[in-house]
This record gives sequence, structure tokens and C-alpha cells, in this order.
Amino acid sequence: MNSPSLLNNPILQRELTSRLRSPKALIAMALVAIVSCTLVLMRWPREATIDLVSQGSIQVFRPVAYAIAIAIMMLTPAFPATAIVSERKKGTLVLMLNSPTPPWVIYIGKLLANVLLSVLLFSVSLPAIFACYAMGGISIAGNVLPLVLVFLGMAFQYSALGLWVSSRSQSIDASLRWTYGILLCLVVLSIGPTVLVGKLSGLKAWIAQAMTTLSPIPALQQITGAQGQSQAIGIGTGWIEFLIMCAVSTLGLALATVYKLHPTMMDRARDAGKVIDPKQSSWLRRLSYLVDPNRRKSGIPFWLNPVMVKEFRTRKFGRLHWLLRLVAGGAIVSILLTVVAATGTVNWGVDRIASSMVLMQIGFLLLLGPSLGANLIASEVESGGWQLMRASPISPWRILSGKLLSTFLTLLLLLMATLPGYVMMSYIQPAIGGQVSNVIISLLIATAMVTILSACVSAYSKTSAAATAASYAVLLFLFAGTLLIWLGRGNPFGPVFVERALLLNPAATALAEMKAPGFETFQLIPNGWYVGLSICAAGLVILILRIARLTRAE
Amino acid sequence: MSDTVVETTNLTKSYGDFTALSDLSIHVNRGQILGFIGPNGAGKTTTIKILVGLSKPTSGTATIAGVDCSQNASKIKRLVGYMPDKFGSYDNMRVHEYLDFFGAIFGIPGSQRKARIQEVMETTSTTYMQDRFVESLSHGMQQRVGIARTLLHDPEVLILDEPANGLDPKARIEMRQLLLQLASRGKTLIVTSHILPELARICNVVAIVTAGKLRAFGSVDEVMSSLCPQRSYEIQLASAAHLEQAEQVLGKLLLESEVLTSSPAELTLRFPTVRTEPELAELLHQLVAAKLPVTQFRELTSDLEDAFLSVAGKD
Repeated sequence: MNSPSLLNNPILQRELTSRLRSPKALIAMALVAIVSCTLVLMRWPREATIDLVSQGSIQVFRPVAYAIAIAIMMLTPAFPATAIVSERKKGTLVLMLNSPTPPWVIYIGKLLANVLLSVLLFSVSLPAIFACYAMGGISIAGNVLPLVLVFLGMAFQYSALGLWVSSRSQSIDASLRWTYGILLCLVVLSIGPTVLVGKLSGLKAWIAQAMTTLSPIPALQQITGAQGQSQAIGIGTGWIEFLIMCAVSTLGLALATVYKLHPTMMDRARDAGKVIDPKQSSWLRRLSYLVDPNRRKSGIPFWLNPVMVKEFRTRKFGRLHWLLRLVAGGAIVSILLTVVAATGTVNWGVDRIASSMVLMQIGFLLLLGPSLGANLIASEVESGGWQLMRASPISPWRILSGKLLSTFLTLLLLLMATLPGYVMMSYIQPAIGGQVSNVIISLLIATAMVTILSACVSAYSKTSAAATAASYAVLLFLFAGTLLIWLGRGNPFGPVFVERALLLNPAATALAEMKAPGFETFQLIPNGWYVGLSICAAGLVILILRIARLTRAE
Repeated sequence: MSDTVVETTNLTKSYGDFTALSDLSIHVNRGQILGFIGPNGAGKTTTIKILVGLSKPTSGTATIAGVDCSQNASKIKRLVGYMPDKFGSYDNMRVHEYLDFFGAIFGIPGSQRKARIQEVMETTSTTYMQDRFVESLSHGMQQRVGIARTLLHDPEVLILDEPANGLDPKARIEMRQLLLQLASRGKTLIVTSHILPELARICNVVAIVTAGKLRAFGSVDEVMSSLCPQRSYEIQLASAAHLEQAEQVLGKLLLESEVLTSSPAELTLRFPTVRTEPELAELLHQLVAAKLPVTQFRELTSDLEDAFLSVAGKD
């Protein structure tokens, strides 16, 4: 009997065939192909003139590269993030671990299947990339090959990351949340110290530069001919450093995951729950929790929606001690940002500080919103709780309002955490009071949009994992996709098209109001609000109809 | 006033061309336990969903305490406590929080809810697990919590889908006692189960459905006598040497329909019959008169499983 090997890997074959059978894989590939080809077509020379400096091709090459990078970031981690935890929940992981297949073969099968899918995903854009090459101005060795290698590095790194998080998570939605959270840190926050603090020296500078190799942004900027922008903000790394970091991190994550893939990983007692008397808990416990999650809860009061209370209680993140921690963290960061600006530590104006705060808030919204909203209905249906609620006299409207409020209020609390920063800002520069109000309104619309759209996706999904992944994709498409169009402002996109695209994004409305760099020319208020509110209203109508359908007698 | 609490009349449910339930007419009185028996896909869950107000019949009526299940679903939901075969647990929720939530969505005022939760936990012996997370409970414990949940709003009728499924023998005995206790308090129960001997021990009435049609309905004895009219008898002899002689004697005494089967290893002979007790006594007398060493002459008892197989086998 032949034992499975790397080449004859049944896990790889099963994962690949099951994924390729899914129409979603085809849709994702078609979308990437359509977007990349459209970008090329928009800039394809129509006249018989020679572009001596070949700026046209690089102006197309850049957004195409970023579009594919965003597609890889959005789509690659979703499957590995659920791969191990879902198999453990279904009980198939223990069957595999008890077979003669060594854990590393299982791991390689899952990793390679995902990487191959990512390769398929970005390979559909290769004709568009080679069309840019045909236009002149970019070379195979200097641009195309490094770009493909960077995409491959991203595919390996994000797949390994997803599998590592999945091997350590207890639930599918927690795995997705952590994976996308770490991804956000890798892509954006890793360049934070260099960008925010400016030029450093000694060991600090070395650490800050090493951190920038975690993000593909400097590598993409170098490949797409925008290295000057990176160097202007103190980033000195490029695509070779990124690939080295990808190799090292993938290897490290792979070793950690294979070490974890052992039958004993299932051998853990379920947390039975322990109630702690607040009077008897230690001062350290009281300090670290403020509101102890293990104290006995009182009954649901008549003036609160029971579904909302249930939602808060059933998710770890919904418990008050976690919310307090997040709110406190957000408040401290916003005040610190304002203080460093006010004391002249960094040479930033109010506009840049406000932009950072807006981006931080949108980051929070995009990180937490989909995982909270996407579980509202899909997980209830999955667990069988929906059937029980249908058999109770509670009205569909009360179920829906309770569920939406539980997400909206959580996100609202996070937004409020940055209010002290805005208050300080208004104190420093009283003239911007009106702008701050407009930014807060835009962010409120963003919160409503994240909540309603995630809930909509959830109401149409069969599983919470699919709902979470789809919610991340939809919201990243709206928030990051429109910023991608903004990135291509001037070329290939005209100002009218960019402004129309930005109207879909309430974060852009807030950034434009604060006159953030690159947004100064756009006037998005009040049209951006109307568009945002219309999206919310349409989403709410769809959601109400869907809930009515899900709750009525068959 | 009629004592009938649950009643269905010509209840039919179709999904396009497929008829899931056809002309089901049953009735259950107050304090009775109805065992609802049928193979997978027989129409049990469809009936239950109509009774709970989650599905509307294509034709026919279903009433609970006189209230029409499809016309007044909101009232029905207060009259019925429903436990589906899937528990419906929530992560990070303790048992008392879980019960408190369901009490709240059934509109039990906060002032009464606490006492009511204590009461149902005592009835179902779940008080000791009130601080445990529901997802950490064993299956048997979860089933008990499920019943506690159905009792919260003090419904007249409890509809339990496979309450004994997956329970160990001890938990099964406890579940049986709990159901009998609830019936003795005047609750009307409709219970589905695949463990038929279990149902036979607790049910006053049984309904057997296959392929959406009612095949038998009535008390366990009535169903048994209608579905298994023939009884089987077994004769055991002292030695194998007399087995052939016994077969010859019986061959002359038995009718053509009373087919004799022998089991030499067990020294037994079996035959089905519809003879009366005196006729059977005469048969035994003749065997003894033929000097056959009969050590046992006994009836092989039929059970609900035989009754069920007698109708399920026809489909």
C-alpha cells in the first residue's frame, strides 16, 4: 500500500477539485480578468502617436497590479482561514490525523491547493499585464517577473497565515476575524512606525525598516515605478526584501502549523463555565476585566430587546470587558495622535491627524463589522436557533432590530472612542468644528452601511463561514476598491469617474471633508451622504423582505 | 366539553407534485402521550411543523385547544412548547442565560421569569448545571435543557422531536420518567422517536405514518391487534430425538396457514396462529397425549417494532 506523498497528495487533489467545482471560484477569476482587461482597454492607444516616455503603460500597469494585489488579499486568506477549524468541527480532521498520512502531507496539500488557486486567480490577469508590456515602458525582468513573484509570495504568506490561525482557532468566524486582522496589520500597520514617526536611527530604524518588509505596498510601489513615494516617507525596502520575508514567514508559520497538527489538538476539555463572585475576585482580575465576564448575569430587563442582549452575550467579543478594552484602546490612540501633532513631535497638520483617525476608524469598522454582521443570521440558522425563534411569538421586526442594534451599537462604541481626539482637535483649531461634525456623520453612515450590508450577506448565506468571507469581500470591494480607483485618478480614470466612485465610500467622504492629501479637490458632501443613506435604505428593505420570508410559515 | 387538545382533520401538505402528507386525521386528549412513528421522510416533521405554526397545510385543518394552527400561528406558539431534533445552542451562553433569553422572547415578565426558570429547572433536574455553558453540556443534558426551555411559557402541548435520540440508557430512563411526569401534570405530549420499545412504554396512543399516509392510529393494544392479528407460539422439547415426531404430530393438527418452522439447535418449533385460548389448550393436550416431552409452550410477544415493520415493509 502506497502512503500518500507530496506528488500523490489526496488532500491536494480533493481540495483543488472541490474548490474548482464551486461557481464562486469561476466568478472570482472572471471578475479579476474583467477588471484588469478593462483597465488596459481604457488606456490602450487609439491614435497612431508614439508615447516617447511610455507613461501610458505604467499608468495602467500600476492600478492593474494594485487591483490584483487587493484581490489576492481579499480572497486568498478566506479558504485557509476556515480549512482546519471547519474540518475539526466536522470531525474529518481527526480521521485524517489518524490515517497513515503524515501531518506535513496534509499541510502541504492544503497550502498548495490554496496557492494554486491564487495562481489561477492572478494568472487570468496576465494577458492584461503583458498588454501593458506590449505598450512599452515596462520590462519583463524589471516589472512583470518581480510582480508575479510578489503575487506568489503573497499567496504563500497569506495561505500559511490562514492555516496557522485556523489551526489555533475554536470557531470559524474567530479564525476569519483573526486572519483578516493580522493581514491588516501585515499590510498597513507594518509600515506605520516608519510612516508615522518619520526617520529613525540605530536599532529602532532597523526594526522599523524590517517591519516594512512584511507589507507588499513598498514592493508594489517599487515595481510600479512609484518608489519615490516610498522613499519620501522613509521606506527603503523593495520587492526582494519582501520575497525574503515571505519565504521566512511562510516557513515559520508552516512549521508552527505542522507542529500543531496532531491528534492531541482535539484532546481538550470543553470550557464548562465558571461563575465568579465579584466580592471574592482578586484586585488584579477586577483591574484586568473591569466588568468580569464570569459574574452571574441578571435577567434581561423588559426595556431591552432580548435578541440584542442575546447577541451581545453569545459572542466573546460582545461581552462588555472586551468592548471596554477596545474603546479604551481607541481613545488612547486618538488622543495620542492629537497630542503628538499638537506638541510638534511630528510635522503633521490637523488634516493628516484627522485622516489617520478616519483610517483607524474605518480599519476597525472593516475588521470587526463583517465578522459581527455576517454572523447575525447565518450562524443562527446554522445552529438551529432560528427555528426556535420562529416557533416563539417574537415578531420578525424585533428579531431584526435586535440583531442590527447589537452590531451597530458595538461599532458605534468604537467610533465614540475616538471622540476625545476630535474634541482635542477642535480645541486646537476651533475653525474645523463643522468639518469634524461632517466627518462624524460620514462615519455614522459608514457604520450603518457595514452593519446592514453584512447582515444582508448573512441573510442570504447558508453558513457563517461563507457569510463572513462574502461580507469581507463586499465591504473591501466598496471601501478599498473605490480607493483603488482614486489611486488611478488622472490616469486612467478621469476626475468625474473618480468622484462618482468615491461617492460610494463614506470613508472617502470623511477624508475629503478633512482635506486629506489627495482628496483636497473632491467635494463629496452632501452627495456622498445621500448615496450612502440610499445604499443603507436599499439594504434595509432587502433585509426586511428576507427576514419576513425566513420567519413566515412555509 | 371535549377533552381533545390536538386534532387534525384530513391534513394534507404538498410541495409541487410531491405530497408530503395526505389526509392525516388524528386526535390526542389532555394528559395523553402520542407516539408519532414513521421512517425518515414519512411526514412526521411536516405534521409537527404544521402543528407548531411553522408550515401551512395545503388542505385540511389542525387545531390545538380549539385554535387553528395555520390561522392563528401567534396564539399557537404560546400554546405549544416545541423541541426540534436540533438543540439550537448558542456559544458563550450559560444555561440560566439561555433560559432567560427564551423566557424573554416568550414575553414572560422579568418579575415572574426568575421564579419560572427555577421551577422548570427543578422539574427537569437541571438546576445544578445553571452556570455551565450550554455548548459544554453532554447530549443528554442538552435534551433536558431543551425540555426546560419548552416548559418555560407553561404550554398545554409539548411537541418533542426525537427527545431520546443519542441518549445513553440511564439518560433514556430519566427522559422517560420526565415525560411521564409531565403527562401526569396534565400536559399533552406528542413525541417522535425511532426507539419504538421506548415509545411503547410511555405512550397512550400511537400513530404510524409511512409515505405521508396514516397507517394505524389508536392505543398501543389497538394498533397491535389491528396490525399484528396473528400470534406466534413456540414449543420447546426436552430432546432432539423427539423433534421429528413432534413435527409429524403437529403437521396433522395444524392448518395450512399455520406454517411450522423448526429450530433443531434450540429444540423449538414455531407457528403463527389465530386460535383461541381453548383451542390452543386442546393442541397442547394432544401433544402431551402423543407422549412428546414438551418443556415449554409459550406465546412469542409482538411489539411495536413488529407492528411498525408490518406496515413499513409494505411500502
